[in-house]
Amino acid sequence: MTHDESYEDGAGQTTVVATDQGEQTQRPAPARRPRGRGPIATAVMVFGELLITAGLVLGLFVVYSLWWTNVLADREAQKQGDAVRNEWAGRGGEDGGPGELNTKDGIGFLHVPAMKNGEILVKKGTDLKTLNDGVAGYYTDPVKSALPEDDKGNFSLAAHRDGHGAKFHNIDKLDSGDAIVFETKDRWYIYKVYKTLPETSKFNVDVLNPVPKESGAKKPGRYITLTTCTPVYTSKYRYIVWGELDRVEKVDARRTPPKELR
Amino acid sequence: MYGWIWRHLPGNAWVKALISLLLILGVVYVLFQYVFPWAEPLLPFNDVTVDEGMGAGAGAAAAGAGAL
Repeated sequence: MTHDESYEDGAGQTTVVATDQGEQTQRPAPARRPRGRGPIATAVMVFGELLITAGLVLGLFVVYSLWWTNVLADREAQKQGDAVRNEWAGRGGEDGGPGELNTKDGIGFLHVPAMKNGEILVKKGTDLKTLNDGVAGYYTDPVKSALPEDDKGNFSLAAHRDGHGAKFHNIDKLDSGDAIVFETKDRWYIYKVYKTLPETSKFNVDVLNPVPKESGAKKPGRYITLTTCTPVYTSKYRYIVWGELDRVEKVDARRTPPKELR
Repeated sequence: MYGWIWRHLPGNAWVKALISLLLILGVVYVLFQYVFPWAEPLLPFNDVTVDEGMGAGAGAAAAGAGAL
């Protein structure tokens, strides 16, 4: 009630005039309390409006984190990915263009057919600033990741589950036997998933070990580990997927993808 | 609050509505461009890495000590 009045107070100057003219016919005496609202009523009203405002801001924050960050990150990832591909094709640097992009750490592209989200640029490091560009990062800390070309080790990656490109959003679609393909300038590394861990503590850094024992691995080999947060929209736990190298193919002149990607 | 703003905007109802719209757009812009990017890392929705609690930033030292 107080609210209705307050709004009429503001908008209703015409109403006031009308009332003045029709003085004799109708006089809603108690209805019109000019400006003088009690301090408590004012406080309640302001408080209510603040609550409404807070609700709207929180709603906007959801829109921001689940939609807008994806827009920005996809744009950025596209740009950086193009730059890496240009560099591979030998068109980087000198012919001007957006050569100033920070692509020196972009080592290749991850293709996971089961996640149905195209290629994911992979860069060095897993700090938020890197991952927020819609890329996956390989760990430098707390356990240093191996690289695919290394003889032995664990190539460990992280990417966002939601927002900022949400590159690992569909990580739960991965099952044993699914392919994870990593593309570098001259090699396709084809990994096969052999173990998933749908929920683990965020402090469980052992999953990144060169020989990830928790996955059942016993001896040194060429492993890949994908990590992201779970359940969706939160960061309570971590979702882990392990794969082992199946084979390596050379990239041909037309970059024909391996059969897993066709 | 909003009533107060509305009363203090110049012009007739249409002009006020237009100015209000611009104000709202301005606020949304500031939120998306500055406030949310600042607030997001402080909220626990988007940490995707496993770590010892050190890399995650403020307040994680205690957790880190307990992690290993």
